[in-house]
Amino acid sequence: MANRVYDVVVVGAGAGGGTMARVLGEKGVKVALIEAGPMIDPSRDFKTNQWPHDYGHRGAEDGGKAYFGRGTAYGFFTAVSGGWQLEGEPYTSAPGTRFDWFRSRVVGGRTNHYGRMSFRFSDMDFKPYSRDGIGWDWPLTYDEIAPWYDRVEEYIGVTGTVEGIRSAPDGKFHDAPEPKVHERLIRASGERLGVPFIANRRAVITRPINGRLACHYCGQCGRGCLTESNYSASQIDVFPAIKTGNVTVITDAMVREVETRDNGLVRGVIYVDKQERAERRVEGRAVVLAASACETARLMLNSRSKHFPNGIANGSGLVGRYLMDTVGFSLRGTLPALENMPRYDTDGFGGAHLYAPWWLWDGHSELDFPRGYHIEMGGGFRMPGVGSFGRIAREAGYGTAIKRMARERYGTAISLSGRGEMIPNDQSYMDIDPDVVDRWGIPVPRFHFSFSDYEWKQARHMEKTFRDLIEAAGGRVLGIGNMEREREGIAVPGSIIHEVGTVRMGESSATSVLNKYCQAHEVRNLFVADGGTFVSNPDKNPTLTINALSWRTAEYLAEELRKGNV
Amino acid sequence: MSRTPGFVRVEALSRRAALRRIALGVTATGLAESLSTADGAEVHAQVEDERTFRGEYKVRYFSDHEFATLERLSELIIPADEQGPSGRDGGAPEFMDLLSSQNGELADILSGGILWLDATSRARNGKTFAAAPEEAQIQILDDLVEAERVRDGADTRWPSREYARFSVYGVRRPSDVQGGLAFFGWVRRLIVDAYYTSPAGMKDLGFLGNAAHSEYAVPQKAIDHAIARSPFRDL
Repeated sequence: MANRVYDVVVVGAGAGGGTMARVLGEKGVKVALIEAGPMIDPSRDFKTNQWPHDYGHRGAEDGGKAYFGRGTAYGFFTAVSGGWQLEGEPYTSAPGTRFDWFRSRVVGGRTNHYGRMSFRFSDMDFKPYSRDGIGWDWPLTYDEIAPWYDRVEEYIGVTGTVEGIRSAPDGKFHDAPEPKVHERLIRASGERLGVPFIANRRAVITRPINGRLACHYCGQCGRGCLTESNYSASQIDVFPAIKTGNVTVITDAMVREVETRDNGLVRGVIYVDKQERAERRVEGRAVVLAASACETARLMLNSRSKHFPNGIANGSGLVGRYLMDTVGFSLRGTLPALENMPRYDTDGFGGAHLYAPWWLWDGHSELDFPRGYHIEMGGGFRMPGVGSFGRIAREAGYGTAIKRMARERYGTAISLSGRGEMIPNDQSYMDIDPDVVDRWGIPVPRFHFSFSDYEWKQARHMEKTFRDLIEAAGGRVLGIGNMEREREGIAVPGSIIHEVGTVRMGESSATSVLNKYCQAHEVRNLFVADGGTFVSNPDKNPTLTINALSWRTAEYLAEELRKGNV
Repeated sequence: MSRTPGFVRVEALSRRAALRRIALGVTATGLAESLSTADGAEVHAQVEDERTFRGEYKVRYFSDHEFATLERLSELIIPADEQGPSGRDGGAPEFMDLLSSQNGELADILSGGILWLDATSRARNGKTFAAAPEEAQIQILDDLVEAERVRDGADTRWPSREYARFSVYGVRRPSDVQGGLAFFGWVRRLIVDAYYTSPAGMKDLGFLGNAAHSEYAVPQKAIDHAIARSPFRDL
């Protein structure tokens, strides 16, 4: 059977691949968008506005799976399709290390459920080595990427306020909703302690754009949004890409290998059709990998040929290296000022309405760690779900005591979470486990991971700051936010799901895999459009930057195709 | 070879989703200043019409006696009061039956627990738990809570968990309910969850969310309430 040849083959339909396919499709480039999971249908797959009592199991899932630790990651109502473990698709960790890998195999990927925090990297973030001599600089400046941040923000919609804070560059913002009461209390604590809380920057629209409805403040972004009021790569990139008529989506297609021609250029990819359990091939003038940092590195390492015995475009040996996640730590607390507060709808736009950008960016000479973190917040009169009142029930015993305590304490709990920059290190990387293949016959990643004192000390700074913030508001610390994942004093590597850096860009083919356009130094028709391209992992959630870099790469690639250079 | 979706069914909404979409459209076109909570609730109420919490349910797993015992426990662990009905009215027995019909591990915990509860009750007063007088039922629950607090070190009468176990000093009568603690923990968790996820439980708490608004506003009286109880003069 003849293989159809496309202009560009894009692997992965998440933030990077979705942006890539849409921008190329709008320019008339013929694209095959290959996704390892199924198509998504929001009307069927999203649980927007549903109640726990819409289900006999109330959200505990069939047979109460959630009670036995076998429930859906992030809960039944979340719009995820995936999790920390996928049946038949293992990964391994080197002895003594742990890295948790979250995979979402579905059109839109993890953007169907993600937190939608959308922060621009700052000028300092692109040149960290120049500032403190640690890590590496990006081959880009803020000014070079800023126009693409503008385009992404104007297209997807991001809330915020103009603040003029150097560590948190302003963008093209939608109006942000006003802060909730518990957020005002923490903001007031912050004023006393010198921690500035400002309007949160989330990929939510508060005025209609592009036929999408403005946010209706149901607070359920994580479930996926039926009114398309937030960003997901599925609804905002892939569906419009399909409508251009130039993008063909191939679903349930697990890419195994990037295929190389005799001249060392890429021919296309080989994938496993998961329904047929059979091998297929698709060809393109160029291939863009956007499968997520670790999946892309895995694919490149598994693409061995006579030109590339160590994996495609891996002459530097850096594919898989410098894997980073975000430093995470959180504290729970209770604010007595909120007890018996008049009820109101605290749902809002699906996340905290305030956050604190890194405020000590000019003060690292007085700190024992080199890079910053931002602070996220949780709280409010949240929709009760299974497990919401477990602690109260235990404390109250039984009977009306439970009801009284639940009424009094409902809405008084808050959480503060730090999201900090990890420094890339030699001990944190992935390679291919020589002994294990998955159910598709593809060798799997093996993770090696180690935080350094930089991250540990930063997490301790978070702990003290959060304690101070809670206590300054008259509150009491209840404990670590997530005992399961943070009991060591720092979140389990991978668990923040900001893994980046495995195929980083740079000026030189000796110290990087990709050039400043995310094009492989060694293979001019191979590109990457996911977080693997990152040189560092600033305390800014990565998706907005993945969108911006992908958009920029798409324009570059379209132009190179037009010129015949690719 | 490749499967291309002919179209994306973004418009193929279910009736339920369509209802909501209509409500949301009202706000988006600016016809209303704000879709009030009441209006939002009405949309959701139409959805809730499709469901009843008590009445038509056909028990799938438990025997009549077991189900009756769970009904009684649901009344005792979450009793009706002036602000809300009981756990039984919140659908707790049905919830436990549904999950148990799908999960043998949970079914064993609950069935075994009911057998334990009846044996304990009979040893005390010759009757099953469901047939025992209310005072006797309450005594068992009180004893369970006390045993749980001793186990978990949460009994404030004792300085520490270790001290509580120092029985030479405490001269504590060995509890006859210790074997039932796991069951008690499960049944309480399930009843509490069923109640607070029911419409009545949400109303009891005063949950006002899962609604649609054209603008987000925080009421001043809530802010004032917090100011008055906080170290701050304004927020």
